[in-house]
Amino acid sequence: MPRELPPLSHLQFLALGVILSSDEPGRVIRDVVADYGVRRTGAAFYQLMARLERDGLIEGWYEPVIVGDQTVRERRYRITAAGSRAWRQTRSFYETVAAAAAQGRLSNA
Amino acid sequence: MLDSRLARALSALLPRRVVADAFEPAWEDLRVAYLIRRQRTKSPLGRAAQGASYLSFTVLLFLDCWRLAIVGWIQREPSTPARRIPPAITEPKQTERLHMFLYLVRHAFRQLVREPAFTVAALLTLALGVGANAAVFAVVDAVLLRPLPYPSADDLVILNHRDKQTGITKEFIAIGDFIDLSARQKAFESIGAWGRGETAFMDRDDPYRAEVLGVGANTLDVLRARPVLGRSINGDDTRENAPRVMMLGYETWKKRYAGDPTIIGRVIRMEATERQVVGVAPPGFTFPPTATTDIIIPYQFPTVAPAQRKSGWTFAVARLRPGRTLDDGATDLATMSRQFEKEFPQQNLASEYFPLGLRTALTGNTKPALLLLFAAVGVVLLIACANVANLLLARSLGRRREMSVRLALGAGGGRLVVQLLTESLVLALVAGTAGVLVAYWGAHALVALLPRSGDVPGLDDVRINGPVMAFTLGIVVLTTLVFGLVAALTVRSEKAVGVLNASRGSSIGTKARRVTSALVVAEVALAIMLLVGAGLILRSFAALLSVDPGFRTANVMTMSLQLPTNRYRDRGAREGFYTQALAQIKAIPGVQEVGMAAVTPLTGNNWTSPFERPEQPVPAGERPPEVGWQLASNGYFRALQIPLVAGRLFDDRDLPAAPPVVIVSEAIQKRFFPNESAVGKRVRLQGDQTAEIVGVVGNIRRAGLRDEPRADMYFPFERNKPGQTTLFVRTASNPERALPAITAAIKRFEPNAYVSEEQTLAHVASESERVTRVVLWLLGVFAVTSLALAAIGIYGVMSYAVRQRTREIGTRIALGATRGNIVWLVLRQGAVIAAIGTVVGLATGLGTTRFLASIMYGVKGTDPLTLSAAVVLLVITIMLACYVPARRAASVDPATTLAEQ
Repeated sequence: MPRELPPLSHLQFLALGVILSSDEPGRVIRDVVADYGVRRTGAAFYQLMARLERDGLIEGWYEPVIVGDQTVRERRYRITAAGSRAWRQTRSFYETVAAAAAQGRLSNA
Repeated sequence: MLDSRLARALSALLPRRVVADAFEPAWEDLRVAYLIRRQRTKSPLGRAAQGASYLSFTVLLFLDCWRLAIVGWIQREPSTPARRIPPAITEPKQTERLHMFLYLVRHAFRQLVREPAFTVAALLTLALGVGANAAVFAVVDAVLLRPLPYPSADDLVILNHRDKQTGITKEFIAIGDFIDLSARQKAFESIGAWGRGETAFMDRDDPYRAEVLGVGANTLDVLRARPVLGRSINGDDTRENAPRVMMLGYETWKKRYAGDPTIIGRVIRMEATERQVVGVAPPGFTFPPTATTDIIIPYQFPTVAPAQRKSGWTFAVARLRPGRTLDDGATDLATMSRQFEKEFPQQNLASEYFPLGLRTALTGNTKPALLLLFAAVGVVLLIACANVANLLLARSLGRRREMSVRLALGAGGGRLVVQLLTESLVLALVAGTAGVLVAYWGAHALVALLPRSGDVPGLDDVRINGPVMAFTLGIVVLTTLVFGLVAALTVRSEKAVGVLNASRGSSIGTKARRVTSALVVAEVALAIMLLVGAGLILRSFAALLSVDPGFRTANVMTMSLQLPTNRYRDRGAREGFYTQALAQIKAIPGVQEVGMAAVTPLTGNNWTSPFERPEQPVPAGERPPEVGWQLASNGYFRALQIPLVAGRLFDDRDLPAAPPVVIVSEAIQKRFFPNESAVGKRVRLQGDQTAEIVGVVGNIRRAGLRDEPRADMYFPFERNKPGQTTLFVRTASNPERALPAITAAIKRFEPNAYVSEEQTLAHVASESERVTRVVLWLLGVFAVTSLALAAIGIYGVMSYAVRQRTREIGTRIALGATRGNIVWLVLRQGAVIAAIGTVVGLATGLGTTRFLASIMYGVKGTDPLTLSAAVVLLVITIMLACYVPARRAASVDPATTLAEQ
């Protein structure tokens, strides 16, 4: 098996994991990421998402939502096929590494 | 809406990619979160707090986005772009330069991040300087520069009248003179009469209050207002006894009649009068620009000037013929005024007409005040620039070794200058961005402070637009050149080898020291100019506050009252209303007096009436002198506590059927009855009719606090009781508490009575000098800011000088100098700078105080108290700023210093 580092950082892995099964608005993804102790400002978080978009791993679009008597917009994201593939590869990496470490094989690598 | 506008304005200042990637989605999240929280909050205070915090978070988001953009730049290696493009050897030279420039820009950002203390100090100083300038410019642009909403508006003038005997000017002209001026003038295309009023649409169940513009035959042509539907008002409509017609304002037509194209020809009832609609005005048309024009009606004029030429007055607007100037118009009007003086001496002697440009007429005394503030805020910017130049210079000198190494390694002097200029440019651009934010808030704060009572155009439309951004950019580029070049050229003149050979603590170059000292001298000079200006305005304001207007303004409520004309056409009906309503108002607990008058004092009103004693007629060929005109009730004098000097006030005897009576002020008694009592004497009214003087009351300053008390003549309100008047209600305590009860008492008798302009007389007095107060306040802020900046500047220079002279000071102490000697050594250096700056500043300042002339009152530009107070304040501040470095110098330990040597 070729030994390669995962294509996603832990933060990207986490963000993609939130939208793996259904598309979500950016603020929900940010809340989940925050639950894992990642403190990012709104601007920094969306810059991260924009990079994922540019790399073709996710798609983002604005959708109108009604709050009270006002219609506003929020950015929603869905994962792309390339994104799912990258996420699976990363998961596989962590699983492989975890299994190897559990069996003490990593120390002989 | 404000939040969206703010977000749009901020996003315009960010790199496009950062807006799309980060700002826009994050701001939408902020908005959603804010709206959700707002829904859950019921209290207005809580909602206001949430709104404020939401706006603050928007600004923080903007700053965070800039942080991301800068960090992104800084993290990119200088060579990164080169790796992505074909080999350097084939690279066009232009691209190479661009990369070099980008490298320099990134380097400049790194420098800013590395030196946070310097960056914060320089950015704050510059952002405030640039922001305050842009804010004042935004208001100047809206009020003085933006075109008025009429084609070729610069050719429009307002005709004014001046009484050469009294010096009193009026912004309207006599009807008789208007008719003859219109026929004889040569400098204008035409002259149009106009006036404003109010009425109510009565064509439906809901009466609709409408603002009326009355016009003469040519007025709409003068203003180039072409109807979008139907026809304009013309000469046929302004003839006496012509059918009653009107034009609808475009917005009224759209709003009230849903843009009905068949409106032309319809008859609409306006209070008691029916008028046929003949046309619809163009979209957005109003006159004057700040007024609302719901309907336009024709004024009906005689075709020939009446024998009593000054029996009525009208406002008049004219358009200069192509190629004619305002001076041509003034000459033409002056010539005709002289003709009228010869032809009608008894009515027109010493009577003169002159034109004022429309904008000048509308802006009044706001224009000099704005220009003064613009100059003052410019001075603050100059001081800020000098300070930042000093900061940059000090930093550059601290980096002399770095520069020398670069020079030694072959970098050209020009390259170093470009690097330092780029650093200045980056600093200025970041400060400019922050300055725009300061300007955004500052401009709105300034608009809130300026008086709104006049017709000053543009105040409702102050915005940070293209010209303001261009102005800000201009300031930024200028400041970059000013302070960047000073620092860059000073460093360039340093000799590389000398600096490299010198030890770390080597003293500052003579040239650089001279430059820093000169900058501080300039700061001190500019600061004292502002201090003197603020001091003079402070003294003027104090003088105005101590002026006795001749009446008591405390605890008096005023309000305008208009009765529906259709129901109160009859005097008996009006009599009945006033009798009952006044009795009710007087019965309100706390109400002491109620009075009525036509003119509210201190509002600039200059209505006059000729004064002539029948037994001492003015010689043939002369005009009787004019005195102030007022229509007042008995209660007016009591409510305002204008003292009765002799005789009596008006009372129930002064009915329409009774012989006419008047009351005069003490000034009339003194001027026209020097050795006798005026009471019982007679004064000529129109024609052969005379009136008896029944009382003499104290003088008041009627038009404004700055006016000297004038001769006034009061006519009895009781005799006529018009349907439109101003009420004056004196109460035992805060008059605003009684306002609801007063309004209720009026509405009880006449629900359709129109009560407006409710304000206390103290507020009227305060508003009459609001321009002075605003100038005082802002000039004071600018002066204190400049003083603080100058103090910081001199502190910086002295601290640096002390650091550089540590060895010398140590040696002096070792040789026996006392702490006092050392403190004095340092203070003396500061005192020399302060003295030179003060002399230069005072010499320049004394020459510029004439620009304050229109705002100063009761004080001369050379007022010794103001000048000495400014100098003392400045000297104390500078000495305090020098004392800290002086103390530090005195605490130098000679043993340590000499050991280091």
